[in-house]
Amino acid sequence: MAAVATPEVHPDLEKEAGTDPHAELEPGYLVICWNDPVNLMDYVTHVFQTVFGWSRTKAVKHMRQVHEQGKSVLVRESMEKAEFYVHELQKYTLHATMERDSK
Amino acid sequence: MRVVQVSSLPGEKSFAEFEMAQEEQILLWHLLQQYPLVPAGHQRLSRNAKNQDENEVLLAEALAEQRTANRKQIAALLNEPGRFAAMPGAEELRVTFSFAEMDWLLQICNDIRVGSWLALGSPELDGKPALGAKPDVARHYFNMEIAGAFEMQFIRALGGGLAAGDIE
Repeated sequence: MAAVATPEVHPDLEKEAGTDPHAELEPGYLVICWNDPVNLMDYVTHVFQTVFGWSRTKAVKHMRQVHEQGKSVLVRESMEKAEFYVHELQKYTLHATMERDSK
Repeated sequence: MRVVQVSSLPGEKSFAEFEMAQEEQILLWHLLQQYPLVPAGHQRLSRNAKNQDENEVLLAEALAEQRTANRKQIAALLNEPGRFAAMPGAEELRVTFSFAEMDWLLQICNDIRVGSWLALGSPELDGKPALGAKPDVARHYFNMEIAGAFEMQFIRALGGGLAAGDIE
């Protein structure tokens, strides 16, 4: 479930560098799916298509990355959207996490 | 269990009709009754976050609510009169699931499959299982395989599944 941001009232101070109030809305979080060998390849493909609305080709590409490389970065999103996608993937018992993109 | 008919209609009216032996219905019944098998707290929002992080707590609460709702829905499905209908003059049963129900059943079956796998110690699945003499090991392995078999039926009915050439 996404966290609800509480609006903050700031005094009239000059904005400090690197404290963009919109930072949490910017795509800065990676949604990663990790390999669990128990998940059927057809199943993982189905879940990617369902959760992200991807074509079968794109879903298979990411499923193969998970299977062969141990993980796949699925999307880069805002914190709120990344949380939503992780929750959706975990409803299907896929091993999904979100990590801050350091780039 | 086999698909008899698939009807893809606009909106949420798409469905698939299955024919299944009475033994398969009993298998499905016992399988769904075991939900959930994945331990609470197994899922994490991030590999770096700590358990007490607010978002981790929120995720755990959301998943717990989901499990409660799923248990109620399973009970309703299994006790719905006429859901599994006997066909005149045939031993098999007919059952119809909407596409949304099949997608939900996939979530339930995979919880049982993953939970059984975790109970086995998360083994690699590239060889024959070492079932040994422990009845629990055989039961977990059996649940995992049966859940996977039902998953494949639902995925095929939903039009999914890998095609030749998807995997080298």
